[in-house]
Amino acid sequence: MEDIGHIEIQHVCLGYKSGLDTRTVIKDLSLTLGAGSFTSLIGSSGCGKSTLLNAIGGHYKPLSGSILLDGVEIKTPSADLGIVFQQHTLFPWKTVKENVRFGPMRRGAGRVVSDKLADEYIELVGLSGYENYYPKMLSGGMQHRAEIARALANKPAVLLMDEPFGALDAQMRVSLQDSLLSIWQNTHVTIVFVTHDVDEAIRLSQRVVIISQRSGSISSIIETNKTHNESIERSAERTHELKSRCLTLLSA
Amino acid sequence: MIASDHEQDHKPQTFNDHVMKTSSFSVNYWLDYIVRLFYIGKHSVRIFVIPLLSIMVGLLAWQGLTQTHADIILDFSNIPSPLHVYKSFLNVVVTKTYWKDIYWSLYRIALAFTIGSLVGVTVGVALGYSAILRLIIAPYIEIMRPIPAIAWVPMSILMWPTTEQSIVFITFLGAVFPIVLNTWDGVKRVPIELVKAARSLGANRISVLFHVVIPYAIPNITVGMALGMGAAWFALLAGEMISGRYGIGYFTWESYELIQYGNIIVGMLTIGILSSITSGAIYLIKRKIVPWSE
Repeated sequence: MEDIGHIEIQHVCLGYKSGLDTRTVIKDLSLTLGAGSFTSLIGSSGCGKSTLLNAIGGHYKPLSGSILLDGVEIKTPSADLGIVFQQHTLFPWKTVKENVRFGPMRRGAGRVVSDKLADEYIELVGLSGYENYYPKMLSGGMQHRAEIARALANKPAVLLMDEPFGALDAQMRVSLQDSLLSIWQNTHVTIVFVTHDVDEAIRLSQRVVIISQRSGSISSIIETNKTHNESIERSAERTHELKSRCLTLLSA
Repeated sequence: MIASDHEQDHKPQTFNDHVMKTSSFSVNYWLDYIVRLFYIGKHSVRIFVIPLLSIMVGLLAWQGLTQTHADIILDFSNIPSPLHVYKSFLNVVVTKTYWKDIYWSLYRIALAFTIGSLVGVTVGVALGYSAILRLIIAPYIEIMRPIPAIAWVPMSILMWPTTEQSIVFITFLGAVFPIVLNTWDGVKRVPIELVKAARSLGANRISVLFHVVIPYAIPNITVGMALGMGAAWFALLAGEMISGRYGIGYFTWESYELIQYGNIIVGMLTIGILSSITSGAIYLIKRKIVPWSE
C-alpha cells in the first residue's frame, strides 16, 4: 500500500493554446511527491495551482515535460487519480450511495462488492443514514463529505483536492479537515491539496509548496515535519513560525 | 390603479378621463360586491366560484349571441349554441365512429411520437456529444427545422405508399424537431466538472454518455417532448383534415362538410382534451423519472 501513489513531475510547462498564441501558466516545474505523502500547493489566485492539479489528474496535457505516476506517464484521467473538485460534482440524479459506488461499479466490481465499499466509505466520512438521500437534500458540508467518500471508495493511489473546503464555514471546515487527516492516516493515500489558506495548508500537510505567479514555478517548499502518526495540533509557536515564513514567501 | 393615479393627478381632466374614471370605479365596485357575496372567509371557495362564474357568463353570452343571430364583426348566425353543442355531444358520444376516430388519432400520435422521441433524442445527443456528427447532421437540421410540418403534406403524400403512412410521417416531423433541439441544448449544458469527475472515477466515454450526459439532459428532453407533443397534434390534425379517412381531425372537418355544425365544436373540444391529457402525461412521467430535480 505504502509504495503506490508516487508522483514525479518533470520539467512541466502548462498553459493554454489559443490559435498561435500560447499563454504559459506553469514554467518548467519539477516536483516529487512521495507515496503516501500529504502536500499542499498554495499561491495567489491565477498562479496555476489548480491547473497543475488538473494536469496531475490527467485533465490537462502539459505543453512540455511529463508527469509520472509510479513510473508511468499520466495521459488521461484514471481511477487511480481521484479528484475532489472545488465545485459540487456529485451526480444530482444519483443518491449518495449510488454516487459513492459509481467508481467501483465502473471498475467492474460487482453490485454487492460496490455496495459494501460504498457503505464502508459513507461510514468513514460520517454520512451513515444518508445513503438514500439525493445530493440536493444534503447541506454543503455533507455534500463535500459524500464527494470525498466517492473519491476514496475508488481506492485511488492519489487523492487530488482542489480547494475542497473553500466555500464552507469555519466550524465545518475544521471538522472536515479532521476527517481528512484521519482518512489520510488510515489509508496512506497520497494527497495533493490545493488551497489559498495558509493556516489550512500548515495544519494539514507535510509539505507546503508555494507557487509564484511571477515565475510560474515553485518559489519555495516548506517542510512541516509532520508524520502520519503525529497528533493533529502542533505547538502554537511552531505553527506561528511556519505561517509567517509562508506569508513572507507568498508576498515576495 | 388607473383610477387612483388620476385622483392624485391635479392636471385638468378631460371629459374622457372623467368617464373612464367613474366607469372603472363602478365596475370595480360591482365586481367587488359580487366577489364578496361568495367570499366566506376561505380562499378555496373563491378559487372555485369565480372561474365557474366566469365560464357561465361566457356560455350565457355565447347562447345569447347565437340565439339572436348577432352579426357584429363575427357572424353568429351559423354558429351552434352551447345547448346545441351539448345535444350534439350526447348524440355523438354513443356512436362507434366517434370513439373510432379518437382511437385512430391516439394511435397515430402514439406511433409518430414514439418514433419521434427515439429519433429526436438520438440525433440530439449525437449533435451535442460528437463534434464530427454535429458537422454532418447540423446542416440538415438547420435546413429542415424552419419548414412547418404542414408544408410537408404534398411531399409526404407523394413519398409514402399509403395516406396512413404519410399522416404518421407528418406527425413525426411535428414531434421530432422540438425534441432534437431541446435534447441538443440539454447535452450542451452538461457542466464540464461533472464529466471530469466521472472520468476521474474511471468512466469511459460511453459511461459518461449514459451516466452523466443523458441523465443531465433529461429535464430538457422532457420539455422537448412536451413541446413535441403539442406540435405533433398540430401536424396530425392538418394531416387528418387534408387527407385522412379516420381521426378526430377528420371528424371535425367532415362535420363541417356535412353541415353538422354542433359536431365541429365537439371535435374541437375533444382535440383540446386529448392534447392536454397527452401533454399532461409527459409532465407526470417526468416527475416520476426525475425525482432529484423536484
